[in-house]
Amino acid sequence: MTKEDRLKKRHSAEKRFKFYGLASIFFALLFVLILVNNIFSKGSSAFMKTAIKAEVFFDPELLEIKNGASKDQILDADFYDITIESLLRVYPSKNLDEENGLIDLFTTDAEIEIKKAFLEDNTLVGKKIILEITASDDIDQLHKGNYPRDLPEDRRRISNIQLKIYDNLVENKKIIKNFNNYFFNNGDSRDPELAGIGGALVGSFYSILICLLLAFPVAVLASIYLEEFAPKNKITDFIEININNLAAVPSIVYGLLALQILLASLQMPRSTPLVAGITLALMTLPRIIIPCRASLKAVPPSIREGALAVGASKFQSVFHHVVPLALPGTLSGTIIGLAQALGETAPLILIGMVAFVVDIPSTPIDPSSSLPVQVYLWSESAERGFVEKTSATIMMLLSFLIVMNFVAVYLRQKFEKRWN
Amino acid sequence: MNFILIFLITIFSLSLFFYGRSKTKSISVQNNIKLNALPKFYGYYLVLWCSIPALVFLLVWSVFEPIIIKSIIIETAANQGAIFSDKNEANLIYEKIKAIHLGTYFGDIDSILKDSAISYAKFINLFTNSKIVLIFTIIIVSVIYSLKKIKNNNKARDDVEFILKGLLFASSLIAILTTLGIIFSLLFESIKFFSVINIFDYLFGTNWSPQRAFVSDASSITAAEYEELKDAFGFIPLIAGTSFIAFIAMLVAVPIGLFSGIYMAEYASVKVRRFSKPIIEILAGIPTVVYGFFAALTVGPFFRQLGENFGLTVSSESALAAGLIMGIMIIPYISSLSDDVINSVPQSLRDGSYAIGATKSETIKKVVIPAALPGIIGSVLLAVSRAIGETMIVVMAAGLAANLTINPLESTTTITTQIVMILVGDQEFDSPKTQSAFALGLTLFIATLILNFIAQRAVKKYREKYD
Amino acid sequence: MSDIKIKSKNLNVYYGDKQALFDVNLDLNEKEVTALIGPSGCGKSTFIRCINRMNDVIDICKVEGNIEIDGVEINDKELDVVSLRERVGMVFQKPNPFPKSIYDNISYGPKIHGKGETKSELDEIVENSLKKAALWEEVKDRLNEPGTGLSGGQQQRLCIARAISVNPEVILMDEPCSALDPIATAKIEELIDELKKTYTIVIVTHSMAQAVRVSQKTGFFHLGKLIEVGKTEKIFKNPDNKMTQDYITGRFG
Repeated sequence: MTKEDRLKKRHSAEKRFKFYGLASIFFALLFVLILVNNIFSKGSSAFMKTAIKAEVFFDPELLEIKNGASKDQILDADFYDITIESLLRVYPSKNLDEENGLIDLFTTDAEIEIKKAFLEDNTLVGKKIILEITASDDIDQLHKGNYPRDLPEDRRRISNIQLKIYDNLVENKKIIKNFNNYFFNNGDSRDPELAGIGGALVGSFYSILICLLLAFPVAVLASIYLEEFAPKNKITDFIEININNLAAVPSIVYGLLALQILLASLQMPRSTPLVAGITLALMTLPRIIIPCRASLKAVPPSIREGALAVGASKFQSVFHHVVPLALPGTLSGTIIGLAQALGETAPLILIGMVAFVVDIPSTPIDPSSSLPVQVYLWSESAERGFVEKTSATIMMLLSFLIVMNFVAVYLRQKFEKRWN
Repeated sequence: MNFILIFLITIFSLSLFFYGRSKTKSISVQNNIKLNALPKFYGYYLVLWCSIPALVFLLVWSVFEPIIIKSIIIETAANQGAIFSDKNEANLIYEKIKAIHLGTYFGDIDSILKDSAISYAKFINLFTNSKIVLIFTIIIVSVIYSLKKIKNNNKARDDVEFILKGLLFASSLIAILTTLGIIFSLLFESIKFFSVINIFDYLFGTNWSPQRAFVSDASSITAAEYEELKDAFGFIPLIAGTSFIAFIAMLVAVPIGLFSGIYMAEYASVKVRRFSKPIIEILAGIPTVVYGFFAALTVGPFFRQLGENFGLTVSSESALAAGLIMGIMIIPYISSLSDDVINSVPQSLRDGSYAIGATKSETIKKVVIPAALPGIIGSVLLAVSRAIGETMIVVMAAGLAANLTINPLESTTTITTQIVMILVGDQEFDSPKTQSAFALGLTLFIATLILNFIAQRAVKKYREKYD
Repeated sequence: MSDIKIKSKNLNVYYGDKQALFDVNLDLNEKEVTALIGPSGCGKSTFIRCINRMNDVIDICKVEGNIEIDGVEINDKELDVVSLRERVGMVFQKPNPFPKSIYDNISYGPKIHGKGETKSELDEIVENSLKKAALWEEVKDRLNEPGTGLSGGQQQRLCIARAISVNPEVILMDEPCSALDPIATAKIEELIDELKKTYTIVIVTHSMAQAVRVSQKTGFFHLGKLIEVGKTEKIFKNPDNKMTQDYITGRFG
């Protein structure tokens, strides 16, 4: 090989090498874009729900209660007949099949929605109002364009009759899309059109709150001890080794720990944010200690010496002078640790959060779910409607994480410039 | 009740603070005594002695009281003739008793339940009263003690700082407690497991199917039953599946992670670096459940469809899909660490190579990377450890079939998937099936511990060379 | 009278906003040792790093002006820097052997440039380079040991051997002895004397005594400007410029 050939070969190897590096970064970028696009395109439709306009007549002959009835009376009353009558009026059915098909176009909770209208205004007996009743999950997905119409009827969940009725309703502008408040207010449900992340949101909130309350003080105190007061002996080394190891233990092992000690030995209530919070706190502890120690280490010794020189005790120099300067780094590390805790799923599954929880928890010792566990649960369901809800939940989860990470980075950048 | 107690303790401590501070001030002025510390420290001293013993006691009591009462009541109920064949039934009966006490039970109440409910109420009362009495006793004793010390003009600041340092030390001990907790939880159930299943049958068994491990009485297993059982808990297919998927993940993560780390450390301008580093970090911040969802919903079916187009049968839960997504998740682990490690190789080595007329890529390939190798290997090992411990991606995207396959188009299961599958749903705590989950957890814990240990040693050795 | 090997004309170098070299015009002769002296930070290292374009490695460094080697302009964007550095070698202030074996340290350069394909060719190159660097006898039995295991003086000779291994025409030395003890320094100065028969050598040095000992031509730099250049004897016995005189007599620097 001549000298020029060799040189050319080397230079093209150089170009290729550089290209591989850039391509790798682009691959990562591409993946993020594909993932985000995939999730957002699937999930954005979840924020709307399909509803069918129905004229509801509160026929006094079909109702047992009167105007002015109390809340309890209303809740106990039977609105079934009124519901069926109102639903059937939406479309002129010619036979029983069409009638049944029509009823199934609506959510199974239609009666509850009608009842809610009466709860809001209990003087409706004898009156007619137009209600937008939530459609069933199948119609909801059909109307959003997620459902293939061209499958043969026996493989479809919507019969031909129902399709006919649907098209008619669309023509008559009786089908509309509303903001899906169920998604935020309701807990889990077997019916996708009614399912919401309300329970999971509260559950996650309580879990992270307890995690923060437990992990932050202990982690900061432990970091201060290790960084400022601990003597250089075997015990201290052992503690540090433990912390480094705990940071790398798979999260599912923490789930086993919680299962054995918190649930089995201490008999704490399963599936509650309290237990979740304690488990997450144990996991988050090393994730706060490590950045906190780094921040403490970064404070120049001159600050400590300055304090000692005016007669402050070691304690005072640490708490009055060093810790405040290490606070931005510690806080931003804490927020990042909490963000990771928010996304944890495996340990929460093990402590029982996979139970079907319909009610929104009111205290941290009520059974609940959490956002990532809800994603897991719904992803196991076959209905198309859950795909949309799961993607929307992921969108919420990612939004929280983005905000938290931004705050952490902002804190770090804004406040850490002080003594550099 | 506990909140009231905590509130009372707080109020009492606060008032002691003000009392201590002002009393010491006035006494020192009156009798012209020189204080050994500022008055406020005497106040702090009293506060600490008043609150800490009481609060610690309250915490320990609250944790253990429910358990103790439960076992007493269940024992009493049994003595009165209640019959339950296992722990689950005992728990059920206990829940009923509690509900009766709270007034939320609507079923039939027989005499046993009624008596037990009465005992329950009695014991709750007894325990609560004892708790209050004991707390007050503790507070009184502590306060008397600390007041006495103050009367003797103790070095309050030193004492306060000593106590606070103790608190700091206790906080850092939590790390050790957690590790002990993990080891205890894993060992406790694993030992029970290994007393039933021979450890060699576990470690070297090639068949994993705990579903058919039905045992009628977990506490005594006949020899015939054992013959059936011993083939159900073979670990080999699980380690094979875990390693296989981790291997695929590393095939993706190592080249991409290493090249992006090299690019960012050696080639990227400040602008590009400021843009690309966060992008890689984003990959690390995405929750694994999101990766799992994406893998199960989009990537798995995509590969299956792709395979169909080429006439191949690809499972929708292929090891390829799960491994690919897991690899992408791991990229930042390798990328960031390699970036750091490469950056700390001294510039003088690079200069020596450039001066000889080597190109940048030659310098990187032949001088920088070899110099950084221990650190890079450390980062790869940490990534492997992360891969085998990963749960959600494989639970959602990989399969449940414990087979021994090296075909990436098939589905295979992992250690973590099995742990989840076993523990979700109804579990009887004393069956080998449930215990096997803990045995798996123990194995996983030991494996990641070893990997992490080697990785940290490698990185440490590297740092010593160049820092 | 030797031919001019390297010629710099109107050379200006900037580190970001700071200017480090001002309009340097300097000729260096073939197969001769030229010493560059002057107080710390006056631009001597910057100058020689221009000759093998090592300043390219530093992002904020900007080079303006001409440098010709054998009449060919090297500040040309089109110039292949990699080939340039094959012809112009460099030895650094602090010895920087690669963390590889002694053999691999020397064979690295030839391998990249395709100068030794077979093992026996490489063996020969390694042996010759080490002999020329006066290190062969000391290390011939331990070629597989790491280069970093040698003493400071040996490491520097290893780096010289490494520079020689690709058969350069010029060797640049940036204060090669400042990290070494007097005995190692003496060995290297001996080596330089021998090497000048084959290579053009430019040496930056803090020690005026060293400049006198090894060089035939000396250039005096001060604050980025070339103050005076001439035969070593002349510069040190009766320089033309007063500043040179002051530096020589120790008035400053």
